[in-house]
Amino acid sequence: MPFTITAPAPPVPIAYNGPSDSDSADSEGDIDMGPPSKRARLSTKSIVTPGEIVTDDPQWMRGHGTYTSPLTSAILSSVSGTLQKTNKLLSIAPLRARYTPEIGDLVVGRIVEVQTKRWKVDLSAPLLAHLPLSAINLPGGILRKRTSTDELAIRSFFSEGDLLVAEVQSMYQDGAASLHTRSLKYGKLRNGVFLAVSGTGGGGGVVRARRQVWTVLTGNGGGEVDMVLGVNGYIWICKHSRGELVEGKGGAQVSIMRIEDVVGESMYSNRNDEIGPATRREIARLSGVVRALVERGVRVDEEMVMRGYEASLEGEETDYEYGEAGGENGEYLGGERGKRVVETALAAVHAARG
Amino acid sequence: MAPTAQPTILSPSELSYLYTSLSLNPPIRPDARSPTSFRPLVAETDLLPTANGSARLCFADGTEAIVGVKGEVERTGGVGKQIGIREDDVEMGGIEGEEGTGGAGGEDWWVEVTVDMPGQRDDDAMVVFLAQMIHEGLVADGGLRARLVINRRWHWRLYIDILLLSPPHTYPLPLLSLTAHLALLSTCLPAPVAGLEKDDDPIFNDDWDAAIPLYPSTPPSSKAKANLSAARPPITLLVISVGDNIFFDPSHAELAVADAVVAVTVASSPSSTDDLNLLAVRTIDPPSRLSSSAAEMGQAVEEGAWKPKKGGMSRTVLRKMVGMCVARGGVGEEVLGGLEGFT
Repeated sequence: MPFTITAPAPPVPIAYNGPSDSDSADSEGDIDMGPPSKRARLSTKSIVTPGEIVTDDPQWMRGHGTYTSPLTSAILSSVSGTLQKTNKLLSIAPLRARYTPEIGDLVVGRIVEVQTKRWKVDLSAPLLAHLPLSAINLPGGILRKRTSTDELAIRSFFSEGDLLVAEVQSMYQDGAASLHTRSLKYGKLRNGVFLAVSGTGGGGGVVRARRQVWTVLTGNGGGEVDMVLGVNGYIWICKHSRGELVEGKGGAQVSIMRIEDVVGESMYSNRNDEIGPATRREIARLSGVVRALVERGVRVDEEMVMRGYEASLEGEETDYEYGEAGGENGEYLGGERGKRVVETALAAVHAARG
Repeated sequence: MAPTAQPTILSPSELSYLYTSLSLNPPIRPDARSPTSFRPLVAETDLLPTANGSARLCFADGTEAIVGVKGEVERTGGVGKQIGIREDDVEMGGIEGEEGTGGAGGEDWWVEVTVDMPGQRDDDAMVVFLAQMIHEGLVADGGLRARLVINRRWHWRLYIDILLLSPPHTYPLPLLSLTAHLALLSTCLPAPVAGLEKDDDPIFNDDWDAAIPLYPSTPPSSKAKANLSAARPPITLLVISVGDNIFFDPSHAELAVADAVVAVTVASSPSSTDDLNLLAVRTIDPPSRLSSSAAEMGQAVEEGAWKPKKGGMSRTVLRKMVGMCVARGGVGEEVLGGLEGFT
């Protein structure tokens, strides 16, 4: 149905589904051993709000998302979120937060400002990140020193609005990140679509995972499609091009002798390759899967995206069988259809884990 | 040309990808919708206790608006100065006759629309323009202002306050228009118990439950006046064209590569077999003209890159757009039906 309008859903009970949500046994195998007699005045509600006294028992240590007032020993919450206890450490996982950069994160960013020797990059973090000119692969050799000519031609590498995939190299004192793209798997992004979802911090969104970049062999003759999940919640879905952007592959295929050919001007080109309609359709479907996952507050990682994608392919077939609205609207994963796909994907994940 | 929201910065390769996808036949939208389908909306009405009518509407991209409609009884002759100005205007323009001043037709200024957007000044060009465009649509067919007449000396004055709750990610016109539509559908005015005769002061029933809706769901056939042409408030739809393809409910990214952006205002027609009434068509400056790639418009087009289209829109595309909006069984009717079915 092309036009749907619904009444707002009643608020859902918030269930935090992070890695250490269960009090009894979390990832380290820690068991909440706080003796019940001593655990006085701990917030029993599932959510704490900023300024709320979490506990005034001095035995607890304060962790992320909390503060103490100088007058009392009480621990107060500085964010709204769910309370987490690790032994004697109290921390609060915020319900919604901006991305906090950490060294080694794979991020997708957008250039917002060009300066003389560096770019400012939007990572949806509280501060803009820096990408120094010295931290990119300059054309004509990976180990070349930057020159004043490069400084003058800084816009030929990245200019405002360009998207790039990079790694957080270091952190400044104020919390701003410094990025680098000195690897063949990083650099300018082309041939695809950009998607911004919530990053690490909230309930759903992209989570730090084993693999942030992988290649999907799509159905319906779509060929290979690369997914780049930036830890900051920025996602890039593009047509797979040989020898680039795939972890492990890029380094193996291009020997160190041929590096000059690869890191040519073409690396910073804005030109798209030829992309067929079938590939474009599958890219749109993948982005629909990610959107549906985020809408339902489900984490976005390789497993969930792949399960969701499989579910969306299956769903389409059944739609065609029943001959319902599928026809022209069959690929749109909004509303009810998105919900079905996510439910199927979640069921598949549970089944796989046993 | 109307001003648009802040220019969107997308990378050249993104723009090229989007444009090529959207100009394919059949087109592929970034979220795989069909060209005429809308993203699911979430709405509620009658949420403000002190307003005569109110509605809240959320778009799927997270933009959200609240509209409150308040009515006030006003003396028709009481603002003589304004009337005087109006009469001058009418004489100068020579468009309308004298009947507008105190009779059945009503006046345009009886409906007042204000738009409030976070972070924008009240006199910001975009805010003023949006308010004007919605006002223009509401009064264009005369259906609404005719409903506001109580008798010869008294009339209702309607204040429609539109508050955009989220920062304007996309051009918020359709959101504001649809929310105003829902609010007007839920608007009730106190029922008059006496004084409907020519010059009497009207007395109203103070029982809120007895209030009459401004737009009754079933038009009273016996009392129906001939000049109440539209039984529903008009809506404004944002339509874009990319190449020869036409898209409804464009997302932020789709607007960025649009060749032409048009706001089409339609209202339902009295007979159920005709097309919808077309009230207004306005072109809106496509955001692509403000992008950095537009600055290089004169230069040779690189292969695989995208440049904003030069020149205006073709008549065939405009005709097709309007046709899709007003046709029987078209998008306009679908949207009107959906909104009516909700309340």
